[in-house]
Amino acid sequence: MGIWGDLLLTSVFISAVSLALFWMAAFTLWWQMHAWRTPEVLASTRFSRPDGDEHVSFSLLLPARHEQAVLDHTIQRLLESTHTDFEIIVIVGHDDPETTEVAEKAAARDPRVRVVVDTHEKKNKPKAMNTALPHCRGDVVGVFDAEDQVHPELLAHVDHAFRTTGADVVQGGVQLINFHSSWYSLRNCLEYFFWFRSRLHLHAQKGFIPLGGNTVFVRTDVLREADGWDPNCLAEDCDLGVRLSSVGKKVVVAYDSDMVTKEETPGSLMSLLKQRTRWNQGFLQVYRKKDWKQLPTFGQRLLARYTLMTPFMQAFTGLIIPLNIAIAVFLDVSVSVAFITFLPAVTALVTFVFEIVGLHDFGKQYGLRVRFVHYVKLVVGGPFYQVLLAGAAVRAVWREQRGQNDWELTSHVGAHLTDAEVTRDLREDVPA
Amino acid sequence: MTSTLPAVTTPKVPAQRTAVPETRSTARTNPSKRLRSSRSDLLLCGALLVAILVVQGWNISDYPTLSDDEGTYLAQAWAVQEGRGLAHYTYWYDHPPLGWIQIALLTWIPAALSPESMTVGSMRAAMLVISAVSAVLVYVLGRRLSLPRWAAGLGMVLFGLSPLSVVLQREIFLDNLAVMWTLLAFALAASPSRHLWHHFGAGMAAATAVLTKETMLFVLPAVFVTMWRHSHRDTRKFALTGAVTACALIGLAYPLFALLKGEMFPGDGHVSLWDGIKYQMTRPGSGFILDQGSGSHGVLRSWLYYDRVLILGGLAGALLLLFTWRWSVTARALAGPSFAVAILALVAMRPNGYLPAMYVIQALPFLALVLAGGTASVAHAALRRWRSEGEHRYLTGGRYALAAVLAISAGAYVVPRWYDGDRTAVTADANAPYQAASKWLSTEVADPKDTRVLVDDALWLDLVHAGYEPGLGVIWFYKADLDPAVTKTMPRGWKDLDYVVASPTVRRDAVDLPNVKAAIEHSTPVAVFGSGEDRIEIRQIQTASGGVR
Repeated sequence: MGIWGDLLLTSVFISAVSLALFWMAAFTLWWQMHAWRTPEVLASTRFSRPDGDEHVSFSLLLPARHEQAVLDHTIQRLLESTHTDFEIIVIVGHDDPETTEVAEKAAARDPRVRVVVDTHEKKNKPKAMNTALPHCRGDVVGVFDAEDQVHPELLAHVDHAFRTTGADVVQGGVQLINFHSSWYSLRNCLEYFFWFRSRLHLHAQKGFIPLGGNTVFVRTDVLREADGWDPNCLAEDCDLGVRLSSVGKKVVVAYDSDMVTKEETPGSLMSLLKQRTRWNQGFLQVYRKKDWKQLPTFGQRLLARYTLMTPFMQAFTGLIIPLNIAIAVFLDVSVSVAFITFLPAVTALVTFVFEIVGLHDFGKQYGLRVRFVHYVKLVVGGPFYQVLLAGAAVRAVWREQRGQNDWELTSHVGAHLTDAEVTRDLREDVPA
Repeated sequence: MTSTLPAVTTPKVPAQRTAVPETRSTARTNPSKRLRSSRSDLLLCGALLVAILVVQGWNISDYPTLSDDEGTYLAQAWAVQEGRGLAHYTYWYDHPPLGWIQIALLTWIPAALSPESMTVGSMRAAMLVISAVSAVLVYVLGRRLSLPRWAAGLGMVLFGLSPLSVVLQREIFLDNLAVMWTLLAFALAASPSRHLWHHFGAGMAAATAVLTKETMLFVLPAVFVTMWRHSHRDTRKFALTGAVTACALIGLAYPLFALLKGEMFPGDGHVSLWDGIKYQMTRPGSGFILDQGSGSHGVLRSWLYYDRVLILGGLAGALLLLFTWRWSVTARALAGPSFAVAILALVAMRPNGYLPAMYVIQALPFLALVLAGGTASVAHAALRRWRSEGEHRYLTGGRYALAAVLAISAGAYVVPRWYDGDRTAVTADANAPYQAASKWLSTEVADPKDTRVLVDDALWLDLVHAGYEPGLGVIWFYKADLDPAVTKTMPRGWKDLDYVVASPTVRRDAVDLPNVKAAIEHSTPVAVFGSGEDRIEIRQIQTASGGVR
């Protein structure tokens, strides 16, 4: 053996790792680009135009916690919906008098608004929503967050989608919009863009879908049958989607750039890290709950396994690519092995290029002016964002190992609201 | 090394006027239906394919004359198969190696079953696979560019049965492989499903084409135009960027390869990509193509000697399509191929560029498609244009009569010429001298293992199989002057050699190669095969004392 043997072993090892990473990244890219595969696929990701008929009644859940500053605005906007048959259930905590006051005032003004008080000692979003579930009178339960900007015609479109597709669940688009705020919010916005614009549709098509935290609509009977949300899961939205799709419920995803619910990115790097840690930990929990094992086909189970493990593989890839290139350049491996070690970098590059095009498309879709400096930020920020994701992945595993399951709240500044300057604590629920 | 095609004569024939019209329906059949499941498409394409394979395959090893370049590429493919690296002499970045790596793969199984078959004559059969794929791709591309069935078939016939195509596509040239990849890129770019990954694949195929033969770079803009026209507004930016990225990344593999080997830039004691490119860019020009007496003009004449219909008709077709762009649907549909023809024509018109004989190969499918498209345009004009519902019966009859006259006259012009050209291709034996020389050297030389002989590349593999030592025993003649690794083993120059096989190529190039020239001067023919310019002499070296070494 000797040195030659060691080198051979190294070559075989890094070739195997490189090829595995290459295929992983290639599949991720393939799925990320799902919506743009053909013009027909792209057209099918949109809501179809409502026919004016209305059959479905909605109960819209609006959990609010220390969000007195934005809550009223959100309620008013929801009340402007063109749909004629819906109720808004604002869920407030018994220890939060300010928010309760805003909610009660709104309820007094409009009979469509009701208030439910959550009395759990330790509070979180799934518990709040489970508290409200028995009070829902509509055929369909919809979930929004207290700072969401909801399009007035969204409910009519969702109604139409339920009727024409026979769906049990309809997931609408959610889009972070304040890409100009910082280098990481740019990437964060783009993650949402690719996730809701494209990747979720693939999941809906394959019959395995981690749902988003808001703009999600579930038939009330289906939701009650599933016992609502899992109060102990850090990604209860993802978990609900996995449980429902695992028992064969039909999920429909629709994305229209003028119909999405607009949100903002976390206000600081630290809160983004915390948010991402919580999602990752949530994904881990969902993975370990094994509901996805009920999925009927091997392909679906593989997709489930892969999707839930993605954050961790992403972290791994980010560390391996530079290492691989260093090996190829500095170690005396054969040229063919060196070529193989470059493969993961190639897919990373292709992903990069598609992200640039995605940013351009994002700007076009939302009528936002994307400047050259934003493209530069996107490219330069890429590796740093990768480090952040890797950090969140490691942190999630660490916390899960130590049994730390509490909610780390995400702080938001109303950067997407033009008329409000608010600072508050709330949580962000959309896995991206 | 070959600068003109063999057997050039200069008959004075007036230039072909316009495209060949046909009589049948010009109704534009809808190509959105999958070709695979269209019985009439399959039948037509299949029947034409059989005809093309018969004409190209019959007598393939005996005609045309073995070319030096074929020997080069096949020998390098052999070196790849034998695990000797990218070439049996030092690989010096003359061309990207992907072309002969493909030839190595293509001939792998026959070479493994019967190693002796790895010679230029017998391995030409492998090129039939390439010709077949390319011909089918021409048909598919024609259909995808909205040509009616008959016109796509016409394009396939022009591409596969023109005597010029038959001669060139039989030979083991990298250009033929590159054409196949380019056609694949075009077909994917014009994919009716407009799938993102088809466009991505088109970029990959285009890069493969360039890495097979670098001159395909010229055609890339035409692939881009085709893709632009066939992509949908909503997905275009993703499709085109995907394709360009795929193409660039794969193309960059070549410089990366050089970089990893430490051979990117010139340095002492090693070859480099830089030097290879410099060599190709500074090759002595062969003059202006329209300048009588220039080398380039000779090359042009050699093409026209085999077929003027495809070249002049194709150029006319391209002009017609470019000029009728505004009015003709067909012209717009064929934008990609017309653009390719225009670029290649302009490149060939450089005032003093180097124009190799194989240059025309990459233009053949596009010439064929634009000629077929131009024909479809003319047929449409004759039969349908300005035709009203209530057109008089006589006028309609007149239209068909006109179309028939055009078709018959075109047929009367083309068929006899092609018949002659293709008959030569399936009957002539141009390689008897080579085969005889190969046989002589295999049987009459007592001790091949210790005999050193200069040959041209086309004969090299024959002698390897006969037991000569590859590289230093049987030597590519120009390596005796140009490769330090070879000259090092010849301290006494020509005196260290035993034989030189003076084929037309060797005699032509010996002028600039002192060692080869000296070897010819100090040798006497011991066997001569053929006569005149094309003869092959086996010359034995005579030392000063009068004896052989």
